[in-house]
Amino acid sequence: MTDPDHDIEQALASLRPRAPSPALTARLAAELDAPASRRGVIIAWSAGLSAAAAALVAAFVFLGGVGEPEAPAYQLVRVEQSRPDVQFFRPVQMDDGSFARPVRVRWQDTTRWEDARSNTRLINYRPNDQFTLLPLETN
Amino acid sequence: MQDAHSGQDWRAWFAEHGARLRLIARQWTRSEADADDVLQEAFVRFWKHQRHLPGNPNALVVTSIRRSALDLLRRGDRRAAREKVVGDDMETVTWFEPEADPRLAALADSLKLLSDEQREVVVLKVWGDLTFEEIGEQLSISPNTAASRWRYAMEALRKLITARTHD
Repeated sequence: MTDPDHDIEQALASLRPRAPSPALTARLAAELDAPASRRGVIIAWSAGLSAAAAALVAAFVFLGGVGEPEAPAYQLVRVEQSRPDVQFFRPVQMDDGSFARPVRVRWQDTTRWEDARSNTRLINYRPNDQFTLLPLETN
Repeated sequence: MQDAHSGQDWRAWFAEHGARLRLIARQWTRSEADADDVLQEAFVRFWKHQRHLPGNPNALVVTSIRRSALDLLRRGDRRAAREKVVGDDMETVTWFEPEADPRLAALADSLKLLSDEQREVVVLKVWGDLTFEEIGEQLSISPNTAASRWRYAMEALRKLITARTHD
């Protein structure tokens, strides 16, 4: 005599759930195939640059406050950072046997100050070129 | 499912297990779109942070799916109107590939007609490959309660199939 519950369980197990759509797989690929360290590098550098820009502005304002009265009083009006251009190169083997991927990131920083009284502008344009090695995890 | 512990590529792992994981996500959500959102969030979390943890990876990924589904449910009030519209998916989109055998087709349709409590036990046992003890941990119920819901579900499915195949 067969167990009717077992029969239904076997019948259930033979049903084939619908496969996930290609769109879902593509969404997973966007999250799991994206090199996280690349994003991390850019975010870290952006944060560092923002801090540097803030320090520069603070120093400028402070120093400007003790200058001659007639000297231009520049006010910061814009800080721009271009979209980084990221290049990935072939992985290389390090001296300790581990692997790393060389990455080159280039971008430009543009900072602009204006003095409303004299209607003058001060623009600082700085190209940046950083080269780094991202450790690769091997299993 | 032990492969999840190794360095296997996520695509190969997902190709093997994705369909049943999506079914688990689907039975805890109100629409196809929600099931995709839940599975995406849960699988990314599992693959990035949990697959190397000790224990049964099967239970880990199911826990991750349930957590995402509950999070979505809590946010549900804010989009109740949308849910009402897409909630009709429950009736129109099949959860399984088409079956030529009328008894299997009736079984696939009948699964949706179970109560939520019975259906989740069935799905977790058959497609989640969990024991009653693991199901109890997932749902915060005792293993006996899980087993009891399973028995009631089998009885209900038997009646539903009989009714449908005699229609």
